[in-house]
Amino acid sequence: MTNAGHRLLWTIIALLLVAGGAAALAASLGELPGVDPAAMLLSADLMDRWRMAAPWSTLAAAVAGALVALAGQRLLARELRGPGGMLRGTLSRSGRRPGRTRVATDVLADALVRDLTGDPGVRRARVVLTGTPPHPDLWIRVDLTADAPTAGVREHVRAAVRRFAATTDCQPAHLDVTARIEPGHP
Amino acid sequence: MRSANRVATLLLATALLVGGAVAAVQALLLTLHRRTPLDTTGWFDTVSGTRWRDPTVRAVSAGALLLGLAILVAQLRRWTPVRLRTDERDGWYLHRRCVERRLADAANTVPGIRHARVRVRRRGGQWRPRVRATGDPAARAEIEFAVHQELRHLAAPRPGQIDVRLLPRRRPA
Repeated sequence: MTNAGHRLLWTIIALLLVAGGAAALAASLGELPGVDPAAMLLSADLMDRWRMAAPWSTLAAAVAGALVALAGQRLLARELRGPGGMLRGTLSRSGRRPGRTRVATDVLADALVRDLTGDPGVRRARVVLTGTPPHPDLWIRVDLTADAPTAGVREHVRAAVRRFAATTDCQPAHLDVTARIEPGHP
Repeated sequence: MRSANRVATLLLATALLVGGAVAAVQALLLTLHRRTPLDTTGWFDTVSGTRWRDPTVRAVSAGALLLGLAILVAQLRRWTPVRLRTDERDGWYLHRRCVERRLADAANTVPGIRHARVRVRRRGGQWRPRVRATGDPAARAEIEFAVHQELRHLAAPRPGQIDVRLLPRRRPA
């Protein structure tokens, strides 16, 4: 899940907490119309109705519990999968003659990673392709060694992207490069 | 804040999964009139014996309200971006922590300067490095030079103004 997704999720949770807390506090102070502060949290009337509705009430609780567990499982899966939207599958292009060329995008990303790590200043590289095939968005992260000349590496990355565009015949619509540099003096 | 959000979401997801599954099993066993793994009669007695005006209810609801407000403020506050943009044209960013650490290391190479910490803020198109260190206040020019050199090595844009604050080292009593 993205940072913005987390932020939205927790803003919603915070709003729910504020609304619930304020409502309960108002009920407790007798400011909420329709709630008597001297009444029990679970009134006898409510308990009777719950018992009368059995087995449907407990079945409904079981279904609600299963739905909550499902929501938790989906959230956990999304959280562990990392940011989504990665372009998977194949890049397909029809030529001048009959037939199509298909290339798996993983192969393209790996090729660009190999090209990027060809420079001695680049220790690691990670490439993610998103968007639609003729003009994909290209997200690159490079980890540079402490003594790498940043300007030189930058030129190397630019050249690698140019080579990638020429080989695959797809010009990136958007290029985003994040460089991390190791600390210089231990 | 980003890491805190991730950890909090992981915990929330796990709590939802486990809590939901336990509640579902419990309710299903209750429906079938089987023995349940959790004995909830004590909880029911407590909740049905509590009045709205009890101090516990007030404390819990006030706590939820304050927690909600705290989370809301933390989420809506402006976060410092993780990356620093170096150029408008080619989409090249430098990781902020790495830059700050490199600049701090550069400032620490100046003789007599110790414990340098650097924060880089971006205002307009310019970077504003802020250096805090202990050492001789006369070394200010040398620190500025070292930071300039390091920024040039990182191919960063020319900084607007380098703010250096030096604390004289405390003399042993």
